[in-house]
Amino acid sequence: MGRLDTRRIAQYLLVLVIAVTINFLLPRFMPGNPLALIAGVDVGLLTPEQRAEIVTAAGLDQSLLQQYVQYWGNLLTGDLGFSYRSSRPIIEMITERLPWTLLLTLASLAISALVGVTTGAISAWRRGKASDLTSLTTMISLESMPPFWLGMLLISGFAVTLGILPSFGAETAASGLTGWDRALDIAQHAVLPVATLSIVSTPAVYLTMRYSMLETLGEDYIRTARAKGASEARLLFRHVARNALAPVLTVLAIRLGFAFGGTVVIETVFSYPGLGRLTFEAVGGRDYPVMQAAFLVFTIAMLLANLAADLIYPVLDPRTRASR
Amino acid sequence: MMKTLNRTGSNTAWLRLLAMSLALALLAAACGGGDDEGDDDEGVDTEETADAADGDAATESSDPSEGDTESDSDGDAVLAEPDEPASGSDAATTLRAGMIGDEASLNPYTYITGFPGWNLLMMQYDSLMQIDGDGIPQPWLAETVDVSDDGLTYSLTLAEGVTFNDGETLDASDVAFTVDYFLNNSQSRFSRALAGVTGAEATGDLTVDITLEAANPSFPLSTLSDVPIIPEHVWSEVTDPENHQFDSVTNVGSGPYVLTDYAPDQSYTMEANPDYFRGAPAVDELVLVQFADDTGAQAAIRSGEVDVIFDGVSPEQVPLLDAQDPIDIVQGPEFSTDLLYYDASKAPFDDVAVRQAMSLAMDRQDIVDTVFLGAATPGSAGWIHPDQVSFNPDVETTTDVEQANGLLEDAGYTDSDGDGIREADGEPMSYELITPSDNTLRLRTAELVSEMLAEIGIGAEVTSVESTTWEEAVWPGFDIANGRNYDLAMWGWSAPIQADASRVASLVHSDPSIGALNLTAFSNPEMDEVAQALTVEGDPDTRLELIGELQTLFAEQLPFVTLLYRDGAYAYNSEVYGEWEFIAGQGIVSKLSLLPAEARP
Repeated sequence: MGRLDTRRIAQYLLVLVIAVTINFLLPRFMPGNPLALIAGVDVGLLTPEQRAEIVTAAGLDQSLLQQYVQYWGNLLTGDLGFSYRSSRPIIEMITERLPWTLLLTLASLAISALVGVTTGAISAWRRGKASDLTSLTTMISLESMPPFWLGMLLISGFAVTLGILPSFGAETAASGLTGWDRALDIAQHAVLPVATLSIVSTPAVYLTMRYSMLETLGEDYIRTARAKGASEARLLFRHVARNALAPVLTVLAIRLGFAFGGTVVIETVFSYPGLGRLTFEAVGGRDYPVMQAAFLVFTIAMLLANLAADLIYPVLDPRTRASR
Repeated sequence: MMKTLNRTGSNTAWLRLLAMSLALALLAAACGGGDDEGDDDEGVDTEETADAADGDAATESSDPSEGDTESDSDGDAVLAEPDEPASGSDAATTLRAGMIGDEASLNPYTYITGFPGWNLLMMQYDSLMQIDGDGIPQPWLAETVDVSDDGLTYSLTLAEGVTFNDGETLDASDVAFTVDYFLNNSQSRFSRALAGVTGAEATGDLTVDITLEAANPSFPLSTLSDVPIIPEHVWSEVTDPENHQFDSVTNVGSGPYVLTDYAPDQSYTMEANPDYFRGAPAVDELVLVQFADDTGAQAAIRSGEVDVIFDGVSPEQVPLLDAQDPIDIVQGPEFSTDLLYYDASKAPFDDVAVRQAMSLAMDRQDIVDTVFLGAATPGSAGWIHPDQVSFNPDVETTTDVEQANGLLEDAGYTDSDGDGIREADGEPMSYELITPSDNTLRLRTAELVSEMLAEIGIGAEVTSVESTTWEEAVWPGFDIANGRNYDLAMWGWSAPIQADASRVASLVHSDPSIGALNLTAFSNPEMDEVAQALTVEGDPDTRLELIGELQTLFAEQLPFVTLLYRDGAYAYNSEVYGEWEFIAGQGIVSKLSLLPAEARP
């Protein structure tokens, strides 16, 4: 297992601080303010005192520095604050949505890893043949598809026209289902969003795997193995694929980090109750505390994914082990 | 002597108007919240929650200083009947209604937007009066409502045998408690709805007197039909209502439904209250499913996953949905507006000739036909909707490009360099026309407006910006004291503003304390005078005259250009349930629609 030296840890901490700072600043540079929450005619009728009260309640009358210090203080004590919109504790809002986002991201990551690695390996093995060119073309076209459009297409086909899959939500509302029936219901609801996410994330895995394989295939030790009479299957899986996996792992780790953010579009299209949807609504409502918390979760997910890649990489590829 | 407010009798006419404005106000309340831009897609104004302009106006109409809202008029035709009445199944075991966005835990202090938040809240609670399908307040929890001659005291007698859904009786002390509670814990919208109330006193088990600071003819509509009665035995223990963490399923009210489950960003489940004092609801279980946007909701009604949608559907979706069996559409006029705004304090828009030319250049019917596919009414240059009784038929709205060009030529705006754009003081008359990116219909309207302005040599470059950016430009900080940062903008107000002629003062008056919504920085002494007179005048005939005069002035001075008024269209599955009551501005999903015919007012 690879180990992290102090320098590495310092790097991660620095990135975290910068990310948190950006998280803090971005919403405050966006136009609009919490008064928009009571927008409309009503706002025009507020007295200056009432306006001030709203701004004070949101802590926006303090200097940026004061707000920043307080923000860190709260973060370090695990206090994410309350939502402006719903007045609910944000930590609660996040924890009830996190499982849904995890379900979508992990399922689609697993599918895209499996499909991407397998097809990428086969494609590279048959480099230049018709099957390689077909899958290459298909993957490149899939990669260029906008996720929201793909999602709407799937809804239109499978939910509206065929009527065989639900078009929205994580489970049937008020179904009263429990146990396996509920699990089945949840699985059905996850099919279209997971399919959309998988389709858009498979090509990157496929392409990385294919190129990485091609590179490995050219290595001397492969020629040696081949010369020693290793079987094709043994050659493909034992020697080539295994060594080609390392870069793919990095891609997967990064995708895992991105996947969290990527669910914003998918969860909106499928009205799925995860973190992405929470973010979408918070941005729309200028709900600063919720926005910050959601972005913070995305940031941490990204850092953790990178960290995981850093730790696992040396296991796969001994050459990258830190010497000490 | 006391006069009794009810459907018959001499008060009907003004009550109708009040009712209408309340209905609109409530409905507009529905549009309040200004929450996420996501919902603000192409639709009638009632669904534009993101539109800052579409405010939570119920509270506004409750402001006693607003006074009477069109107490003139015989009241007919103000709230037009739906073009197509709803029909279909008259009872359902489970009804699934699609809504857009989350409304948090549905109690009077935490629900988020006026629409659909208030409508959902009122499924669980009752108000003292209830507006009917025509938007007129009718007796509800209060069986009789008597007002003293000076208009300062409302004496109510409550219906007998009303219970909260935890079994406790609802009596006069709960009403008095509700008034006190909202007045003392001011973070609720209902505190503003009760502004001007000095107190409420239980004079018996079922009788209560509510006293006002000043007579307010719109009180039954704006307050009695708006404020939910909360149980004293529950709320007397709640000291910090805004941050009180209610268990979302323990809201206790007297309404026809009880909230039994809330899954954030997913759904609300409500069960019928079989003991409801007006009779058991026609729908046993109401499941409100949340969508992130209206595209999702429309796909779901087409796939049969939901049976009705709270928000209106956009004009281009109407034929598509209507063609699909068993989906039906209820349509009717609503008074939300689409307007062309300019900063009238800046050259050249400070020149009335320029404003007149711009209005003349607008082919309003073309916009209605092209963008709204006919589902709207062309705007009157005098601002007031032609279906309103106070509409002044002498005000003509014409399209005349030649005359417009003539006006500009005469005023000295010529195209000296021959590039097709006129010059004002040597500068080309080219401006940015900003419009919110999430409102497709408004964006398309802007593009047509730009083409029409080009015909009179005025350049308008349509810039579509994120909706809060747009709000910040037109209405920085929602306070006109901050000035304005735009030249041309698309804008719109929700129905109540159009429905209540007294509100014109807030749109055009040059004194910011009166013209709080004067986003075009318009200033004209004559209009100030008439608009202000309207806010205090009580005599119906004089009011009608003033409104007529105001429209003439409006068409002449053009504080802004009224392009059109949108219609509403609501989709439902007639096989599941079809007894929908269309209330202009509230759509069809409200308490009334779910009660059996005999329980409706």
